[in-house]
Amino acid sequence: MVVKKEVCNKLSDQEIIQKSLEDLNYFACLYDRYEPKLLRYIKKISMADHEEASDILQDAFIKMWKNLNSYDNRLKLSSWLYRIVHNETISYCRKKRSFGKNNKLDVEDIRLADLPDEQELEVDPEMRFFLTHEILNKLALKYREVLVLKFMEKMSYEEISDVLKIPEGTVATRMNRAKKMFKTIAKKENISFIG
Amino acid sequence: MKNSETLISKMKDQNLKPIPKWRFTLKGMAVGFILLISVILGGLAFSVVLFSVQQLGFDLITHMSHSNIEFLLGLLPFLWIVLLIIFLILGMISFKNSRKGYKFSPTKLLIINTAFSILLGTLFFIGGGAQWLENVFAVKIEIYESINEKKISMWSVPEDGYLSGTIESVNEGTLNLVDFNNKEWTIDYQKAHIPPVVLLEEGEVIKLRGKMSSAGHFLADEVRPWGGNKGFGKKRKEK
Repeated sequence: MVVKKEVCNKLSDQEIIQKSLEDLNYFACLYDRYEPKLLRYIKKISMADHEEASDILQDAFIKMWKNLNSYDNRLKLSSWLYRIVHNETISYCRKKRSFGKNNKLDVEDIRLADLPDEQELEVDPEMRFFLTHEILNKLALKYREVLVLKFMEKMSYEEISDVLKIPEGTVATRMNRAKKMFKTIAKKENISFIG
Repeated sequence: MKNSETLISKMKDQNLKPIPKWRFTLKGMAVGFILLISVILGGLAFSVVLFSVQQLGFDLITHMSHSNIEFLLGLLPFLWIVLLIIFLILGMISFKNSRKGYKFSPTKLLIINTAFSILLGTLFFIGGGAQWLENVFAVKIEIYESINEKKISMWSVPEDGYLSGTIESVNEGTLNLVDFNNKEWTIDYQKAHIPPVVLLEEGEVIKLRGKMSSAGHFLADEVRPWGGNKGFGKKRKEK
């Protein structure tokens, strides 16, 4: 029996988890709540198309369900969800041995109105409002994922550390390198931006 | 049909259930146990390395200018150094696999693990546990060469000026010594430096630096107690 959206909206993440253990149908609430964000994340780090990304997300949620009793509520549920989705995406990419380089992202996916200030990103002003998938695609995965989590998923360094299971110092190091590489590639490719 | 409904339907068809909590608890306990054991065993290995340094360390420095590398390397407590490294690595791996282990860089993990092993090892060494453990190995494991055996090797090279053994009798300016190969020696100690902790009495085990003047005769430059300068206990009365 499908749980109504109004009922789902009243529940916190933790409450959904508790209710799911009693009634599996409540698990759908979690999926509906996080599907858009997680799909976007999968596409950005793997360059998979929509169908592939949906498959990855479904597999990730199945894994989540199986490992529900391992969830430590001292960790933010969203961090835990992203962690599982991230690992599932990496496994998928390794199996496929292709990062969807031939797939193009939708323009809506590419345009990021909420890019960081130029002070944060330390790039030229004209790069500020538009991030192309060509630049992201050229970055190594470990740099791409920190940029996506920080600037697109709006996560803190601590949350990124929890998702990727790496020390915060390593997150900071990768972020600095990612920014430098992004700037270098953008200049080298002479990519134009919409201001 | 929404994606979430497809998912729930699939999960119901496959009758998927969450893994029971006790399995995760057990896994966590196993990781914790391995970490604890690694730190303890690392500490034990470190304590024996300390014991070895205490027994051989400064002597090793003395020998460096005379003995070849092979001999010197043979004196090092390799087994314990290797065990220490293994347990440090095992400790790091299990720490990394703990719930919050990922928050620590490999360098920090190594420092933390090493610090605990050093602390435990030092306490065990001070308590005399290192010597006891080393003796157990020497007795139980036939192929194991104890630190004492290494020490005897180091101090039984009279041709190079290193001699050791038990005092049989003491005379004015000379003493009779039986070395660890049961060979008898006459030692001339008139010009030797002898610290007060060396009693120069029958039955005392000593080690000497000097020169072999002829077969069965040794001219000592320095006489030391076999167990190292402890600084406590009886002292020789000067005549």
